[in-house]
Amino acid sequence: MSELGRFQDAFAAALAERASAPIAAWLPNGEGDGEAEPAGLAVYRNTIAKGCVDALAANFPTVASLVGDDWFRAAAALFVREHPPTSAALLAYGEAFPDWLDRFPPADDLPYLPAMARLDRMWTTALFAPEAQPLAAEAFALAPDALAAARPRLHPSLAFAWFDSGLPGLWLAAREPEPGEMALTDDPQGVLIARPDDMVHGRLLDAAGFAFLTAARDGASLGEAITAAARANPAADLATLFAALIADGAFSGLDLGDLA
Amino acid sequence: MSPTAGLGLKPQHYAEALAAEDAGLWFEVHPENYMAAGGPRLRWLQAVRDRHPLSLHGVGLSLAADADPDPAHLLALKALADRFEPFVISEHLAWSTHRGVHQPDLLPFPRTRAALDRIAGNIGRTQDVLGRTILVENPSLYLPLTGHALDETDFLIDLTRRTGCGLLVDVNNVFVSASNLGYAAETYLDALPAEVIGEIHLAGHGADEGGSSLLIDTHGAPVAEPVWTLYRRLVDRIGPRPTLIERDDDIPAFDVLMAERNRAHGMLAKREPAHV
Repeated sequence: MSELGRFQDAFAAALAERASAPIAAWLPNGEGDGEAEPAGLAVYRNTIAKGCVDALAANFPTVASLVGDDWFRAAAALFVREHPPTSAALLAYGEAFPDWLDRFPPADDLPYLPAMARLDRMWTTALFAPEAQPLAAEAFALAPDALAAARPRLHPSLAFAWFDSGLPGLWLAAREPEPGEMALTDDPQGVLIARPDDMVHGRLLDAAGFAFLTAARDGASLGEAITAAARANPAADLATLFAALIADGAFSGLDLGDLA
Repeated sequence: MSPTAGLGLKPQHYAEALAAEDAGLWFEVHPENYMAAGGPRLRWLQAVRDRHPLSLHGVGLSLAADADPDPAHLLALKALADRFEPFVISEHLAWSTHRGVHQPDLLPFPRTRAALDRIAGNIGRTQDVLGRTILVENPSLYLPLTGHALDETDFLIDLTRRTGCGLLVDVNNVFVSASNLGYAAETYLDALPAEVIGEIHLAGHGADEGGSSLLIDTHGAPVAEPVWTLYRRLVDRIGPRPTLIERDDDIPAFDVLMAERNRAHGMLAKREPAHV
Protein backbone atom coordinates (compact mmCIF):
# COMPACT_ATOMS: atom_id res chain seq x y z
CA MET A 1 0.00 0.00 0.00
CA SER A 2 1.14 3.56 -0.68
CA GLU A 3 2.19 5.87 2.12
CA LEU A 4 -0.90 7.98 1.42
CA GLY A 5 -3.11 4.95 1.95
CA ARG A 6 -1.26 3.94 5.11
CA PHE A 7 -1.58 7.47 6.43
CA GLN A 8 -5.31 7.49 5.74
CA ASP A 9 -5.78 4.16 7.53
CA ALA A 10 -3.81 5.53 10.46
CA PHE A 11 -5.68 8.84 10.51
CA ALA A 12 -9.05 7.06 10.49
CA ALA A 13 -7.85 4.93 13.41
CA ALA A 14 -6.61 8.01 15.28
CA LEU A 15 -10.01 9.67 14.81
CA ALA A 16 -11.84 6.58 16.05
CA GLU A 17 -9.53 6.02 19.02
CA ARG A 18 -9.16 9.72 19.85
CA ALA A 19 -5.45 9.10 20.17
CA SER A 20 -2.27 10.19 18.45
CA ALA A 21 -0.60 6.77 18.57
CA PRO A 22 -1.82 5.51 15.15
CA ILE A 23 -0.37 8.60 13.39
CA ALA A 24 2.71 8.96 15.61
CA ALA A 25 5.00 8.31 12.62
CA TRP A 26 3.71 11.52 10.99
CA LEU A 27 3.72 13.77 14.04
CA PRO A 28 6.61 15.98 15.10
CA ASN A 29 8.89 14.46 17.73
CA GLY A 30 7.18 14.23 21.06
CA GLU A 31 3.64 14.89 19.83
CA GLY A 32 2.67 11.29 19.25
CA ASP A 33 4.14 9.81 22.40
CA GLY A 34 1.42 10.39 24.94
CA GLU A 35 -2.06 9.03 25.36
CA ALA A 36 -3.65 12.44 24.88
CA GLU A 37 -5.45 13.41 21.72
CA PRO A 38 -3.72 16.29 19.93
CA ALA A 39 -5.89 19.43 19.78
CA GLY A 40 -5.75 19.44 15.98
CA LEU A 41 -7.02 15.87 15.75
CA ALA A 42 -9.90 16.79 18.06
CA VAL A 43 -10.81 19.67 15.71
CA TYR A 44 -11.11 17.28 12.77
CA ARG A 45 -13.03 14.74 14.85
CA ASN A 46 -15.47 17.35 16.14
CA THR A 47 -16.04 18.80 12.68
CA ILE A 48 -16.79 15.35 11.27
CA ALA A 49 -19.15 14.51 14.13
CA LYS A 50 -20.95 17.86 13.82
CA GLY A 51 -21.40 17.38 10.08
CA CYS A 52 -22.95 13.94 10.57
CA VAL A 53 -25.16 14.92 13.52
CA ASP A 54 -26.36 18.11 11.79
CA ALA A 55 -27.30 16.02 8.74
CA LEU A 56 -29.30 13.60 10.91
CA ALA A 57 -31.03 16.49 12.69
CA ALA A 58 -32.03 17.91 9.30
CA ASN A 59 -33.25 14.54 8.04
CA PHE A 60 -35.12 13.55 11.25
CA PRO A 61 -36.61 16.83 12.50
CA THR A 62 -39.59 15.28 14.30
CA VAL A 63 -37.41 12.89 16.26
CA ALA A 64 -35.13 15.79 17.18
CA SER A 65 -38.03 18.01 18.30
CA LEU A 66 -39.67 15.24 20.37
CA VAL A 67 -36.57 14.21 22.33
CA GLY A 68 -34.89 17.62 22.55
CA ASP A 69 -31.54 18.76 21.25
CA ASP A 70 -29.28 17.23 23.91
CA TRP A 71 -30.80 13.75 23.77
CA PHE A 72 -30.90 13.79 19.99
CA ARG A 73 -27.30 14.90 19.51
CA ALA A 74 -26.00 12.38 22.04
CA ALA A 75 -27.93 9.53 20.41
CA ALA A 76 -27.02 10.66 16.90
CA ALA A 77 -23.32 10.78 17.80
CA LEU A 78 -23.51 7.12 18.89
CA PHE A 79 -25.35 6.18 15.69
CA VAL A 80 -22.71 7.96 13.59
CA ARG A 81 -19.96 5.84 15.13
CA GLU A 82 -21.76 2.65 14.17
CA HIS A 83 -23.14 3.83 10.84
CA PRO A 84 -20.90 6.55 9.37
CA PRO A 85 -21.97 8.08 6.06
CA THR A 86 -20.94 6.21 2.93
CA SER A 87 -21.70 9.08 0.56
CA ALA A 88 -20.84 12.77 0.50
CA ALA A 89 -24.47 13.56 -0.30
CA LEU A 90 -25.68 13.72 3.31
CA LEU A 91 -29.23 14.61 2.30
CA ALA A 92 -29.85 10.85 2.09
CA TYR A 93 -27.93 9.97 5.28
CA GLY A 94 -29.61 7.99 8.05
CA GLU A 95 -31.38 5.14 6.30
CA ALA A 96 -30.42 2.83 9.18
CA PHE A 97 -31.40 5.31 11.92
CA PRO A 98 -35.02 4.12 12.50
CA ASP A 99 -33.99 0.49 12.98
CA TRP A 100 -31.04 1.56 15.12
CA LEU A 101 -33.38 3.56 17.40
CA ASP A 102 -35.49 0.40 17.72
CA ARG A 103 -32.51 -1.33 19.32
CA PHE A 104 -31.20 1.66 21.28
CA PRO A 105 -31.80 0.91 25.00
CA PRO A 106 -32.19 4.55 26.11
CA ALA A 107 -35.12 4.80 23.68
CA ASP A 108 -36.98 1.94 25.44
CA ASP A 109 -39.06 4.51 27.32
CA LEU A 110 -40.00 6.14 23.99
CA PRO A 111 -41.56 3.23 22.07
CA TYR A 112 -43.05 5.60 19.48
CA LEU A 113 -39.63 6.97 18.48
CA PRO A 114 -38.57 4.45 15.77
CA ALA A 115 -41.90 5.02 13.99
CA MET A 116 -41.35 8.78 14.16
CA ALA A 117 -37.97 8.21 12.54
CA ARG A 118 -39.50 6.00 9.83
CA LEU A 119 -42.07 8.67 9.06
CA ASP A 120 -39.39 11.39 8.98
CA ARG A 121 -37.44 9.21 6.56
CA MET A 122 -40.51 8.85 4.32
CA TRP A 123 -40.88 12.63 4.36
CA THR A 124 -37.22 13.27 3.50
CA THR A 125 -37.31 10.67 0.73
CA ALA A 126 -40.40 12.33 -0.75
CA LEU A 127 -38.68 15.72 -0.55
CA PHE A 128 -35.87 14.59 -2.88
CA ALA A 129 -37.86 12.18 -5.07
CA PRO A 130 -37.90 12.58 -8.87
CA GLU A 131 -40.16 15.19 -10.41
CA ALA A 132 -43.35 14.20 -12.21
CA GLN A 133 -46.45 16.14 -13.18
CA PRO A 134 -49.36 14.88 -11.08
CA LEU A 135 -52.53 14.00 -12.96
CA ALA A 136 -55.42 16.42 -12.60
CA ALA A 137 -59.02 15.26 -12.34
CA GLU A 138 -59.58 15.83 -16.08
CA ALA A 139 -57.18 12.99 -16.87
CA PHE A 140 -59.73 10.60 -15.39
CA ALA A 141 -62.65 11.82 -17.52
CA LEU A 142 -63.07 8.51 -19.35
CA ALA A 143 -65.93 6.21 -20.16
CA PRO A 144 -66.71 4.03 -17.11
CA ASP A 145 -65.34 0.83 -18.70
CA ALA A 146 -62.13 2.53 -19.79
CA LEU A 147 -61.68 4.13 -16.37
CA ALA A 148 -62.15 0.84 -14.54
CA ALA A 149 -59.61 -0.89 -16.81
CA ALA A 150 -56.98 1.86 -16.66
CA ARG A 151 -53.94 1.22 -14.48
CA PRO A 152 -52.70 4.25 -12.50
CA ARG A 153 -49.02 5.00 -12.07
CA LEU A 154 -48.27 6.32 -8.61
CA HIS A 155 -46.37 9.58 -8.30
CA PRO A 156 -42.63 8.93 -7.69
CA SER A 157 -42.73 10.94 -4.46
CA LEU A 158 -45.73 9.05 -3.04
CA ALA A 159 -45.18 7.00 0.10
CA PHE A 160 -47.80 5.38 2.30
CA ALA A 161 -47.76 3.02 5.26
CA TRP A 162 -50.05 1.41 7.80
CA PHE A 163 -49.49 1.40 11.56
CA ASP A 164 -51.18 -0.67 14.26
CA SER A 165 -51.71 2.42 16.39
CA GLY A 166 -52.14 6.15 16.04
CA LEU A 167 -48.47 6.88 15.41
CA PRO A 168 -49.11 8.76 12.13
CA GLY A 169 -51.46 11.16 13.93
CA LEU A 170 -48.85 11.73 16.61
CA TRP A 171 -46.21 12.39 13.97
CA LEU A 172 -48.41 14.80 11.99
CA ALA A 173 -49.24 16.70 15.19
CA ALA A 174 -45.57 16.89 16.15
CA ARG A 175 -44.69 18.38 12.77
CA GLU A 176 -47.04 21.32 13.24
CA PRO A 177 -45.12 24.58 13.73
CA GLU A 178 -46.92 25.00 17.08
CA PRO A 179 -47.69 21.44 18.19
CA GLY A 180 -50.89 21.27 20.22
CA GLU A 181 -51.96 18.34 22.32
CA MET A 182 -50.24 15.18 21.14
CA ALA A 183 -52.21 12.12 22.15
CA LEU A 184 -51.39 8.63 20.95
CA THR A 185 -54.55 6.65 20.15
CA ASP A 186 -54.75 2.87 19.91
CA ASP A 187 -56.67 3.02 16.65
CA PRO A 188 -54.74 1.72 13.63
CA GLN A 189 -53.93 4.49 11.17
CA GLY A 190 -52.39 4.88 7.75
CA VAL A 191 -50.39 7.77 6.43
CA LEU A 192 -49.87 9.23 2.97
CA ILE A 193 -46.89 11.45 2.12
CA ALA A 194 -46.40 13.07 -1.28
CA ARG A 195 -44.63 15.93 -3.00
CA PRO A 196 -46.58 16.54 -6.20
CA ASP A 197 -45.04 20.02 -6.60
CA ASP A 198 -42.92 22.21 -4.31
CA MET A 199 -44.21 21.08 -0.95
CA VAL A 200 -44.28 17.75 0.82
CA HIS A 201 -47.59 17.11 2.51
CA GLY A 202 -48.76 14.31 4.74
CA ARG A 203 -52.19 13.22 5.92
CA LEU A 204 -53.89 10.33 7.61
CA LEU A 205 -55.04 7.51 5.39
CA ASP A 206 -57.95 5.22 6.30
CA ALA A 207 -58.10 1.48 5.67
CA ALA A 208 -59.92 1.92 2.35
CA GLY A 209 -57.40 4.45 1.06
CA PHE A 210 -54.51 2.26 2.14
CA ALA A 211 -56.06 -0.77 0.41
CA PHE A 212 -56.58 1.29 -2.77
CA LEU A 213 -52.96 2.47 -2.91
CA THR A 214 -51.57 -0.95 -2.03
CA ALA A 215 -53.51 -2.48 -4.92
CA ALA A 216 -52.45 0.30 -7.29
CA ARG A 217 -48.82 -0.09 -6.29
CA ASP A 218 -49.08 -3.79 -7.06
CA GLY A 219 -50.31 -3.05 -10.59
CA ALA A 220 -54.09 -3.22 -10.18
CA SER A 221 -56.49 -1.41 -12.46
CA LEU A 222 -58.58 1.40 -11.01
CA GLY A 223 -61.57 -0.96 -10.92
CA GLU A 224 -59.59 -3.55 -8.98
CA ALA A 225 -58.20 -0.91 -6.63
CA ILE A 226 -61.69 0.47 -5.90
CA THR A 227 -62.89 -3.06 -5.21
CA ALA A 228 -59.99 -3.54 -2.77
CA ALA A 229 -60.92 -0.28 -1.03
CA ALA A 230 -64.59 -1.29 -0.72
CA ARG A 231 -63.56 -4.66 0.69
CA ALA A 232 -61.35 -2.96 3.32
CA ASN A 233 -64.22 -0.70 4.39
CA PRO A 234 -67.66 -1.42 2.91
CA ALA A 235 -68.93 1.91 4.29
CA ALA A 236 -66.21 3.98 2.57
CA ASP A 237 -67.25 6.84 0.29
CA LEU A 238 -65.27 5.68 -2.72
CA ALA A 239 -65.85 8.76 -4.88
CA THR A 240 -64.56 11.03 -2.12
CA LEU A 241 -61.60 8.71 -1.48
CA PHE A 242 -60.59 8.78 -5.14
CA ALA A 243 -61.03 12.56 -5.45
CA ALA A 244 -58.86 13.07 -2.37
CA LEU A 245 -56.07 10.93 -3.83
CA ILE A 246 -56.18 12.96 -7.06
CA ALA A 247 -55.98 16.14 -4.98
CA ASP A 248 -52.99 14.63 -3.14
CA GLY A 249 -51.20 14.32 -6.47
CA ALA A 250 -50.98 10.58 -5.92
CA PHE A 251 -51.02 9.72 -9.63
CA SER A 252 -48.56 10.65 -12.33
CA GLY A 253 -49.83 8.50 -15.18
CA LEU A 254 -52.65 6.34 -16.44
CA ASP A 255 -52.04 3.29 -18.63
CA LEU A 256 -55.12 2.85 -20.77
CA GLY A 257 -53.97 -0.44 -22.27
CA ASP A 258 -55.89 -1.79 -25.29
CA LEU A 259 -58.70 0.66 -24.78
CA ALA A 260 -56.47 3.66 -25.49
CA MET B 1 -16.99 35.68 -16.17
CA SER B 2 -15.97 39.15 -15.06
CA PRO B 3 -14.16 39.20 -11.72
CA THR B 4 -16.98 40.30 -9.44
CA ALA B 5 -18.02 39.25 -5.97
CA GLY B 6 -20.50 36.48 -5.13
CA LEU B 7 -22.19 34.91 -2.16
CA GLY B 8 -22.67 31.37 -0.89
CA LEU B 9 -26.32 30.51 -1.50
CA LYS B 10 -28.24 29.34 1.58
CA PRO B 11 -31.77 27.86 1.50
CA GLN B 12 -33.11 30.50 3.91
CA HIS B 13 -32.08 33.19 1.39
CA TYR B 14 -33.47 31.64 -1.82
CA ALA B 15 -36.19 34.23 -2.38
CA GLU B 16 -33.91 37.21 -1.72
CA ALA B 17 -31.14 35.73 -3.88
CA LEU B 18 -33.61 35.26 -6.69
CA ALA B 19 -34.81 38.86 -6.44
CA ALA B 20 -31.37 40.47 -6.04
CA GLU B 21 -30.36 42.72 -8.94
CA ASP B 22 -26.90 43.82 -7.78
CA ALA B 23 -24.49 44.15 -10.69
CA GLY B 24 -22.09 41.24 -11.03
CA LEU B 25 -23.71 39.19 -8.26
CA TRP B 26 -23.17 35.44 -8.53
CA PHE B 27 -23.82 32.51 -6.22
CA GLU B 28 -21.97 29.39 -5.17
CA VAL B 29 -23.32 26.11 -3.76
CA HIS B 30 -21.95 22.79 -2.59
CA PRO B 31 -23.07 20.34 -5.29
CA GLU B 32 -23.41 17.62 -2.62
CA ASN B 33 -26.46 19.47 -1.26
CA TYR B 34 -28.15 19.17 -4.65
CA MET B 35 -27.36 15.55 -5.53
CA ALA B 36 -31.02 14.57 -5.49
CA ALA B 37 -33.42 13.31 -8.14
CA GLY B 38 -35.80 16.24 -7.70
CA GLY B 39 -37.50 18.50 -5.22
CA PRO B 40 -37.80 22.13 -4.20
CA ARG B 41 -34.08 22.63 -3.57
CA LEU B 42 -33.25 21.88 -7.20
CA ARG B 43 -36.17 24.02 -8.35
CA TRP B 44 -34.86 26.96 -6.35
CA LEU B 45 -31.35 26.48 -7.68
CA GLN B 46 -32.71 26.44 -11.21
CA ALA B 47 -34.64 29.65 -10.61
CA VAL B 48 -31.60 31.39 -9.10
CA ARG B 49 -29.38 30.09 -11.91
CA ASP B 50 -31.82 31.50 -14.48
CA ARG B 51 -31.07 34.96 -13.06
CA HIS B 52 -27.44 34.75 -11.85
CA PRO B 53 -24.12 33.04 -12.67
CA LEU B 54 -23.39 29.98 -10.52
CA SER B 55 -20.28 28.27 -9.17
CA LEU B 56 -20.21 24.64 -7.98
CA HIS B 57 -17.86 24.23 -5.02
CA GLY B 58 -17.45 20.57 -4.12
CA VAL B 59 -16.65 19.34 -0.63
CA GLY B 60 -16.97 15.58 -1.15
CA LEU B 61 -14.89 14.41 -4.10
CA SER B 62 -11.95 13.49 -1.85
CA LEU B 63 -9.26 14.31 -4.42
CA ALA B 64 -6.47 13.50 -1.97
CA ALA B 65 -7.77 10.01 -1.20
CA ASP B 66 -5.51 7.11 -2.12
CA ALA B 67 -8.22 5.94 -4.49
CA ASP B 68 -9.91 6.98 -7.70
CA PRO B 69 -12.73 9.50 -7.31
CA ASP B 70 -16.05 7.75 -6.66
CA PRO B 71 -17.58 7.25 -10.13
CA ALA B 72 -21.13 7.74 -8.84
CA HIS B 73 -20.15 11.01 -7.18
CA LEU B 74 -18.38 12.19 -10.33
CA LEU B 75 -21.40 11.39 -12.48
CA ALA B 76 -23.71 13.20 -10.08
CA LEU B 77 -21.38 16.22 -10.26
CA LYS B 78 -21.31 15.99 -14.05
CA ALA B 79 -25.12 15.89 -14.16
CA LEU B 80 -25.33 19.06 -12.06
CA ALA B 81 -22.67 20.75 -14.20
CA ASP B 82 -24.54 19.85 -17.39
CA ARG B 83 -27.82 21.14 -16.01
CA PHE B 84 -26.68 24.33 -14.29
CA GLU B 85 -23.71 25.31 -16.50
CA PRO B 86 -21.58 26.79 -13.70
CA PHE B 87 -18.89 29.28 -14.70
CA VAL B 88 -16.46 27.45 -12.43
CA ILE B 89 -16.22 24.11 -10.61
CA SER B 90 -13.90 23.78 -7.65
CA GLU B 91 -12.79 21.20 -5.09
CA HIS B 92 -10.28 20.92 -2.23
CA LEU B 93 -6.75 19.67 -1.72
CA ALA B 94 -7.96 17.22 0.92
CA TRP B 95 -9.52 13.82 1.45
CA SER B 96 -12.74 12.81 3.15
CA THR B 97 -13.67 9.36 1.80
CA HIS B 98 -11.58 6.33 2.69
CA ARG B 99 -12.50 2.64 2.44
CA GLY B 100 -16.11 3.47 1.75
CA VAL B 101 -16.60 5.75 4.76
CA HIS B 102 -17.26 9.43 4.16
CA GLN B 103 -15.95 11.79 6.86
CA PRO B 104 -17.57 15.17 6.21
CA ASP B 105 -14.44 17.26 6.66
CA LEU B 106 -11.38 18.21 4.61
CA LEU B 107 -8.58 16.06 6.02
CA PRO B 108 -4.80 16.55 5.79
CA PHE B 109 -2.08 14.28 4.41
CA PRO B 110 1.71 14.21 4.03
CA ARG B 111 2.56 16.03 0.78
CA THR B 112 4.88 13.43 -0.71
CA ARG B 113 5.86 13.05 -4.38
CA ALA B 114 3.76 9.89 -4.52
CA ALA B 115 0.78 11.81 -3.13
CA LEU B 116 1.35 14.44 -5.82
CA ASP B 117 1.20 11.73 -8.51
CA ARG B 118 -1.97 10.24 -7.05
CA ILE B 119 -3.78 13.57 -6.63
CA ALA B 120 -2.74 14.81 -10.09
CA GLY B 121 -4.24 11.59 -11.46
CA ASN B 122 -7.44 12.14 -9.51
CA ILE B 123 -7.75 15.72 -10.74
CA GLY B 124 -7.07 14.55 -14.30
CA ARG B 125 -9.77 11.89 -14.05
CA THR B 126 -12.22 14.43 -12.67
CA GLN B 127 -11.48 16.91 -15.45
CA ASP B 128 -11.81 14.16 -18.07
CA VAL B 129 -15.28 13.26 -16.82
CA LEU B 130 -16.39 16.88 -16.51
CA GLY B 131 -14.82 17.86 -19.82
CA ARG B 132 -13.35 21.03 -18.28
CA THR B 133 -10.69 22.11 -15.83
CA ILE B 134 -11.43 22.70 -12.16
CA LEU B 135 -10.02 24.94 -9.45
CA VAL B 136 -8.38 23.37 -6.39
CA GLU B 137 -8.63 25.08 -2.99
CA ASN B 138 -6.01 25.24 -0.24
CA PRO B 139 -7.39 23.62 2.95
CA SER B 140 -7.44 24.94 6.50
CA LEU B 141 -4.97 22.91 8.56
CA TYR B 142 -5.02 22.02 12.25
CA LEU B 143 -2.41 19.33 12.79
CA PRO B 144 1.33 19.70 12.22
CA LEU B 145 2.46 16.71 10.17
CA THR B 146 5.94 15.61 9.23
CA GLY B 147 6.90 13.82 6.05
CA HIS B 148 6.08 16.66 3.64
CA ALA B 149 8.35 16.64 0.58
CA LEU B 150 6.87 19.89 -0.74
CA ASP B 151 5.47 23.08 0.70
CA GLU B 152 1.75 23.40 0.11
CA THR B 153 2.27 26.23 -2.38
CA ASP B 154 4.78 24.19 -4.42
CA PHE B 155 2.44 21.20 -4.26
CA LEU B 156 -0.47 23.27 -5.59
CA ILE B 157 1.66 24.87 -8.31
CA ASP B 158 2.89 21.43 -9.45
CA LEU B 159 -0.74 20.27 -9.64
CA THR B 160 -1.63 23.20 -11.91
CA ARG B 161 1.31 22.43 -14.20
CA ARG B 162 0.53 18.73 -14.43
CA THR B 163 -3.23 18.91 -14.83
CA GLY B 164 -4.04 22.36 -16.14
CA CYS B 165 -6.23 22.97 -13.10
CA GLY B 166 -6.36 26.41 -11.52
CA LEU B 167 -6.35 27.46 -7.89
CA LEU B 168 -9.08 28.70 -5.62
CA VAL B 169 -7.25 30.68 -2.96
CA ASP B 170 -9.13 30.72 0.34
CA VAL B 171 -7.52 33.66 2.11
CA ASN B 172 -9.16 32.77 5.41
CA ASN B 173 -7.77 29.23 5.17
CA VAL B 174 -4.31 30.69 4.55
CA PHE B 175 -4.72 32.91 7.62
CA VAL B 176 -6.02 30.06 9.80
CA SER B 177 -3.40 27.52 8.65
CA ALA B 178 -0.57 30.03 8.98
CA SER B 179 -1.66 30.80 12.52
CA ASN B 180 -2.15 27.14 13.45
CA LEU B 181 1.04 25.78 11.91
CA GLY B 182 3.23 28.82 12.45
CA TYR B 183 4.19 30.41 9.15
CA ALA B 184 3.64 33.76 7.47
CA ALA B 185 0.38 34.10 5.52
CA GLU B 186 1.91 36.83 3.33
CA THR B 187 4.78 34.54 2.25
CA TYR B 188 2.32 31.79 1.39
CA LEU B 189 0.13 34.08 -0.72
CA ASP B 190 3.12 35.71 -2.45
CA ALA B 191 4.31 32.28 -3.61
CA LEU B 192 1.19 31.65 -5.71
CA PRO B 193 1.49 32.76 -9.37
CA ALA B 194 -1.23 35.18 -10.45
CA GLU B 195 -1.99 33.33 -13.68
CA VAL B 196 -3.22 30.15 -11.99
CA ILE B 197 -5.57 31.82 -9.49
CA GLY B 198 -9.15 31.62 -10.73
CA GLU B 199 -11.19 32.44 -7.64
CA ILE B 200 -10.80 33.74 -4.09
CA HIS B 201 -12.76 32.74 -0.98
CA LEU B 202 -13.29 34.91 2.10
CA ALA B 203 -14.87 33.59 5.30
CA GLY B 204 -14.87 34.03 9.04
CA HIS B 205 -13.06 31.97 11.64
CA GLY B 206 -13.29 31.50 15.39
CA ALA B 207 -11.51 30.25 18.46
CA ASP B 208 -11.36 26.52 19.31
CA GLU B 209 -14.20 25.76 21.72
CA GLY B 210 -12.03 22.88 22.86
CA GLY B 211 -9.78 25.44 24.52
CA SER B 212 -6.65 25.13 22.39
CA SER B 213 -4.99 28.11 20.72
CA LEU B 214 -6.02 26.83 17.28
CA LEU B 215 -8.11 29.01 14.99
CA ILE B 216 -11.07 27.20 13.43
CA ASP B 217 -12.36 27.82 9.91
CA THR B 218 -15.96 27.95 11.12
CA HIS B 219 -17.59 29.96 8.31
CA GLY B 220 -19.67 31.13 11.25
CA ALA B 221 -18.60 34.76 11.60
CA PRO B 222 -17.94 37.85 9.47
CA VAL B 223 -14.65 37.96 7.55
CA ALA B 224 -11.96 39.12 10.00
CA GLU B 225 -10.09 42.37 9.35
CA PRO B 226 -6.64 40.70 9.01
CA VAL B 227 -8.17 38.51 6.28
CA TRP B 228 -9.50 41.58 4.48
CA THR B 229 -5.99 43.03 4.68
CA LEU B 230 -4.49 39.89 3.16
CA TYR B 231 -7.18 39.93 0.47
CA ARG B 232 -6.41 43.53 -0.48
CA ARG B 233 -2.72 42.69 -0.68
CA LEU B 234 -3.44 39.65 -2.89
CA VAL B 235 -5.72 41.53 -5.27
CA ASP B 236 -3.24 44.41 -5.46
CA ARG B 237 -0.68 41.90 -6.74
CA ILE B 238 -2.72 39.62 -9.02
CA GLY B 239 -5.62 41.85 -10.07
CA PRO B 240 -9.31 41.18 -9.52
CA ARG B 241 -10.67 37.64 -9.37
CA PRO B 242 -14.18 36.30 -8.72
CA THR B 243 -14.43 36.50 -4.93
CA LEU B 244 -16.88 34.65 -2.70
CA ILE B 245 -18.15 35.43 0.78
CA GLU B 246 -18.73 32.04 2.45
CA ARG B 247 -21.02 31.61 5.42
CA ASP B 248 -22.23 28.18 6.54
CA ASP B 249 -22.99 28.55 10.24
CA ASP B 250 -24.78 31.12 12.40
CA ILE B 251 -26.16 32.52 9.17
CA PRO B 252 -27.35 36.14 9.40
CA ALA B 253 -29.87 37.98 7.24
CA PHE B 254 -29.22 38.16 3.50
CA ASP B 255 -28.55 41.90 3.69
CA VAL B 256 -25.82 41.38 6.28
CA LEU B 257 -24.01 38.96 3.98
CA MET B 258 -24.59 41.24 1.00
CA ALA B 259 -22.85 44.05 2.89
CA GLU B 260 -19.73 41.88 3.13
CA ARG B 261 -20.11 40.85 -0.48
CA ASN B 262 -20.42 44.50 -1.50
CA ARG B 263 -17.22 45.34 0.37
CA ALA B 264 -15.33 42.77 -1.70
CA HIS B 265 -17.15 43.93 -4.82
CA GLY B 266 -16.05 47.50 -4.23
CA MET B 267 -12.44 46.46 -3.74
CA LEU B 268 -12.52 44.52 -7.02
CA ALA B 269 -14.22 47.30 -8.96
CA LYS B 270 -11.39 49.74 -8.17
CA ARG B 271 -8.96 47.62 -10.13
CA GLU B 272 -8.43 47.00 -13.80
CA PRO B 273 -9.61 43.64 -15.14
CA ALA B 274 -6.96 40.98 -14.89
CA HIS B 275 -4.70 40.44 -17.87
CA VAL B 276 -4.75 36.66 -17.60
